[in-house]
Amino acid sequence: MWVRVFNSLALFLFIFIFSTPHGFAQATTVRFVDEQGETLADIDVKLHEDRVYLPVDSLKSVFDSDLTHEYHRPRGKLTLRMKGNEIGLRIRNSNVSIDSGKKTFTLSDPPRVIQGQPMLPITFYTELLPELYDVAVKYNANLQRVRIMPKTLWELPTTDTGQEWTIIIDPGHGGEDVGCQSQDGLIEKDIVLGICKEVQQIGEQGGLSILLTRDKDVPTKRLQRVQFSNQNQGKLFLSVHCNASYSAAHKGIRIYLNNPNGLLRFRQRPITLIGRESLNILTQDDFLKQSKNFARILEKEMNFLVEDPIEIIELPLISLSDIYMPAVLIEIGYLSNSDDVTRLSKPEHITELSQSIIRSIQIYSASVNNATEPKEIPVEDPADSN
Amino acid sequence: MDILKRIIHSRLFITWCITLVVIVIGLSLTLLLISHSKRTILQDAPPILPDTANPTDSLPVPQRVNLFLLETVGTKLIPKSVELHLFLETTERLNQVIAALIKETPPNYRNPIPRGTVLNHVYIDSQKIAYLDFSHHLASGQIGGTTAELLTVSAILKTVFDAFPDDVLHVQILIEGKEQETLSGHINISQPLRF
Repeated sequence: MWVRVFNSLALFLFIFIFSTPHGFAQATTVRFVDEQGETLADIDVKLHEDRVYLPVDSLKSVFDSDLTHEYHRPRGKLTLRMKGNEIGLRIRNSNVSIDSGKKTFTLSDPPRVIQGQPMLPITFYTELLPELYDVAVKYNANLQRVRIMPKTLWELPTTDTGQEWTIIIDPGHGGEDVGCQSQDGLIEKDIVLGICKEVQQIGEQGGLSILLTRDKDVPTKRLQRVQFSNQNQGKLFLSVHCNASYSAAHKGIRIYLNNPNGLLRFRQRPITLIGRESLNILTQDDFLKQSKNFARILEKEMNFLVEDPIEIIELPLISLSDIYMPAVLIEIGYLSNSDDVTRLSKPEHITELSQSIIRSIQIYSASVNNATEPKEIPVEDPADSN
Repeated sequence: MDILKRIIHSRLFITWCITLVVIVIGLSLTLLLISHSKRTILQDAPPILPDTANPTDSLPVPQRVNLFLLETVGTKLIPKSVELHLFLETTERLNQVIAALIKETPPNYRNPIPRGTVLNHVYIDSQKIAYLDFSHHLASGQIGGTTAELLTVSAILKTVFDAFPDDVLHVQILIEGKEQETLSGHINISQPLRF
């Protein structure tokens, strides 16, 4: 009798395993967002050999609600009809036939059957959709987030006006002033110099003129940075820093603007004709609106890279004082938080941050070039984080 | 016996007795009034302060003061109520409150004031600006980062404005007696601040 029970169990296991031809697959959720960062759908996906696979119906939720598909199980043939195209796929085959072979494409990962259902690899979204349609699809594996946006918004033209735009990128600290440090030895001055150099490299490939206030590990005083920026007549100033807190729970990206009437307020003093204080205040009045616009663009771009919402905080900031151009300070992560330290240790994340900074600069410069008086994008009141 | 009877029935004795009774009643009433008036003062009226009060005289009862500290697991500054025997004079009280903020780190709290920080001197001017002069540790003990700096400045300002809502309008942070641009390179503390 026990032999029969054992045989039945073995048969059950055999059928179960081989009905899912490639073994067990872990389940997780991927969030699809649009260009504004708004959620389109949360899709339950399967992980197979560290690759993300999505059900075919996910395309209906996030790309084409009129999509139809046929799956011929014996032949392992999957046919999708969407946005006027017929896309022919085969299970465990990376080749894709578009419109009955008029065009072909090879995916990095093939479609698979997982737990009896045909599933599409995430590369179907990131590789094939941009090839066939006017969309850009970006996948953030750390956050399990996919961003779909019109290609025109992603692939910004390398503007002719780019050379007129000198962007000042300011890697914080330097020399003996190391900034903050993580417990395992990450140092702010090194991280921010690395990212700023990458921003410069990517920006110059895109036709932007980018100058760094320091390009090596040297002590750089505040007034040196101010003089360098003003003398080079920068159109935009971005100071890049890492954050730290007495609470290990603080994490994510923060964006700061210099406003003497922000979360902390200076005492109002009578304005003198020629006085340092009055000149400072005028500087803020002149550029605060543009600085807010750029901060809002940065926030939207960076939201795709981190889990927690990004705060824009207005404070009297010495590091942005006397800079005669729109100026923003970004803290790219907390060296006092282990998740952020892990994130900032990954070169691919540094590249994503650099690309997002460049995209933000391009979007901002395009908005200024397209309008003599840029429209103010409302900035929500910063939540009192203290 | 005859002599005793004669004394008792004499007019002089009766007069003395009546006088004695009147004095006893009068004294009793006086004592009653005095004790009643003392009880009223203790229960209802504020303490009567001598005109020449010593600045370091304490108020008769301990006062509750909110110190703004970080919860160990949280990200926000929250008030932690403590009991202090405060001095009468405002500047001395301010000194005591900030000294308590620097010193106190109850269980489950983190103090955003760097260790070793000492409050050197306190002064409140006629425009209700409180000048708080700290030792260099307030700046040199910073761990870097705008958030850490903001937590330090905010803890000081919130504690002061909560304890002295009418006496202090702005706070000027000084380091070793001098105005500083910043504690660790981010927030501008060169001028008096408020929320």
